[in-house]
Amino acid sequence: MTRSFSGETVLAGIDLRVDRGETWGLVGPAASGKSVMLKTLCGLLPPDAGAVVVDGEDIAAATEERLMLVRARFGMLFQNNALFDFMTVGDNVAFPLVRRGGVEPKEIRARVSARLRAVGLAGTEDKFPSELSGGMRKRVGIARAVIARPDIVIYDEPTAGLDPVTTQKVYDLLARERDATGATVVVVSSDLDALLRFVPRVGMIYQGKLRYDGPAKKARDADDPVVRQFVRGDIEGPL
Amino acid sequence: MTEALRKLGERALALVEEAGGIALLALKVIGALVPPRLLRVGAAGLRLVAPSREVRNPPRVPPLSGRELLRNLDKMGVSSLPIVALTAFFTGGIMVIQSGIFVKRFGAQGLLGWGSGYAVFREVGPILIGLMFSGRVGSNNAAELGTMTVTEQIDGLRALAIEPVRYLIVPRVLAMVISMFCLLIVGDLVAVGGGMLFGKLLLGVEFSSFYYSLRDNLRPWDFLVGVIKASVFGLAISLTSCHFGTAVKGGAVGVGRAVNDAVVAAALAILISDYLLTLVLR
Amino acid sequence: MSRVEAFRDGAKLFRRIVVRTAVGSLRGRRPPGEVLRQMEQVGNRSVVFIAVTLGFIGMVLVFQTCLQINRVTGDLSQVGAEFLKILVHEFGPTLTAMMLATRVGAGIAAEVGSMVVTEQVDALRMCGVEPVEYLIVPRFLASLVMTGVLTVFGVAVAITMGTLTAYLTFHVNPRIFLDLGRVSLGDLATGGLKVIAYGAAIPIVSGFAGLGARGGSEGVGWATTRAVIASSFTVIVLDLVLSGVGLFLLQGGA
Repeated sequence: MTRSFSGETVLAGIDLRVDRGETWGLVGPAASGKSVMLKTLCGLLPPDAGAVVVDGEDIAAATEERLMLVRARFGMLFQNNALFDFMTVGDNVAFPLVRRGGVEPKEIRARVSARLRAVGLAGTEDKFPSELSGGMRKRVGIARAVIARPDIVIYDEPTAGLDPVTTQKVYDLLARERDATGATVVVVSSDLDALLRFVPRVGMIYQGKLRYDGPAKKARDADDPVVRQFVRGDIEGPL
Repeated sequence: MTEALRKLGERALALVEEAGGIALLALKVIGALVPPRLLRVGAAGLRLVAPSREVRNPPRVPPLSGRELLRNLDKMGVSSLPIVALTAFFTGGIMVIQSGIFVKRFGAQGLLGWGSGYAVFREVGPILIGLMFSGRVGSNNAAELGTMTVTEQIDGLRALAIEPVRYLIVPRVLAMVISMFCLLIVGDLVAVGGGMLFGKLLLGVEFSSFYYSLRDNLRPWDFLVGVIKASVFGLAISLTSCHFGTAVKGGAVGVGRAVNDAVVAAALAILISDYLLTLVLR
Repeated sequence: MSRVEAFRDGAKLFRRIVVRTAVGSLRGRRPPGEVLRQMEQVGNRSVVFIAVTLGFIGMVLVFQTCLQINRVTGDLSQVGAEFLKILVHEFGPTLTAMMLATRVGAGIAAEVGSMVVTEQVDALRMCGVEPVEYLIVPRFLASLVMTGVLTVFGVAVAITMGTLTAYLTFHVNPRIFLDLGRVSLGDLATGGLKVIAYGAAIPIVSGFAGLGARGGSEGVGWATTRAVIASSFTVIVLDLVLSGVGLFLLQGGA
């Protein structure tokens, strides 16, 4: 599977390839284009120029109808969870399955409660998202992202605003999901330490350019001073 | 049944509460408009009656900020000019078409200027321009004050010993009243222009005959009624939007709700005060 | 982003909304009961509001007309007939729509806009849902129906209050006042055409404002304001156009 992308303005020419089953992390300072990049990857935003290839299909050139089918292969956790606030937790998690169709209501219910149990929220089906805490909402978001067994899962800031303990719990959960499904995973996070422990390979984006793409362990000693400073959290440097 | 009654009662109570809040704000604004010197005289008089400490030392009030007023006039009045002019232009056209029904029925071309002018000046002009002004300026104002409230900027002003009503609200109220006054005059002129144009295009009524019909049948008073109405609408819009803006509760969602409530309350206030003014200004 | 680009993007979004709404209304999957739920929302939010505003409008119109006629001829027997006529083809539909543009338009823009800025709309798209079909179409259908219902309701209130004003202030007998003789089929057709046009335009214009919302809760506020102005203005423009159509094609100059 190949994804190459060269956009403009926010993202100025990015070439990237993530293989099937790989877990790839993306870091970068605020407003560096991380979210834009994720949304381009899954076909929510069209690139101004260039190609985004998912499993041999260029989704930058695809029609909206075609894109719908491609997007169904993705699962996505949004930065602020984006839970539907007019639906219960159970309906939220079930939504991707219901929309896809072809699954019996009984089976859907069973899978929803299994998913919720897996993220430690058994029995919350009838609550509304607004009744949950931030960490719980995040876990509902994760459950919704993976319920339809997508080939590719994208996590946008899975631990933003969570305390260190909850952060670790979320990453453990992500690791379990990944190992169970073998899906391709792309994670964006500002929480460097936890992320670097989770992903084998990491990329750093800065001013719309991919400044680093390689093993997570070597990011601390990267040649690029910008990357080195960002990963180490130094105060002095080019940033 | 009891549930419905309970809901109705709840709504009525909420309505009374909001109306009271608006009235209170109106009193505060009037209070802030009283010149400080008069206040001191009043305080001297009060001292004889009730010699409490607060009365003996009336808080020193800063003069109203002229710059804030000008800024608001520009932001609220000048920037609403295009939408008001467009609205007035179309309103003139609509009223010509409505009067056109009579013109076609009776062949009375000479009545066109009178009929459409009377309707636009006294009723339709002020109402439609008021509604548009409320949609644009009132809702913006509520959103702005609401954001300031939920981000605690208003408390910040209080902490700096700046009285929010005097500093924030009074200039806005004045600016909205003055803006509506001026916008209606411009709007009336544009509406007459629009009426003439559509009268000529659709009904073949000459500009001159439209103009004479307007001039001979309408009194300056008809024009003035509209201007007075518009100014009162400006006051109503400013009070409702300032009230709902500063009474926001509950974060960003509350701001959205406040904007919605402010616009609805302004529309109610416009139509109710229109009726009352119609009774008074014959 | 330059203004030209912003305009082009806006035009593209608007076209998509119109096309998708048209297609989606005719066919397409809708969550069951969603249209009914939206209709209830529109009704719940607006019934009292419409009753008060249209009631006062009825009183003002009768009052102003009687006043003016008293100055000229003093024959008030025709006021009722003309009042009913103009209420049916002009003021009833248009002022109800102006009120709905404020109430319903702002509501749609606020709801949809906050879904956009909290990425719920993106989440819908990730689940293979076309946002226009899912969010706008039910509101569109609900608005079409409810604008009609509320206009009839508003006209009824305005007639009641107008009749009362005529009777109590100017002593016009309600039997003479309530004279439907002047209301022609053309008037009804003009009024009906306006109701349909307004009912269709308000959700589309406000949905456009809502889906175009950008950036945080402030963006939602902006979207709401834009929806109110744009839908009110659309109502005024449509009124001009349809009044012209009515005058020359439907009301036959009668």
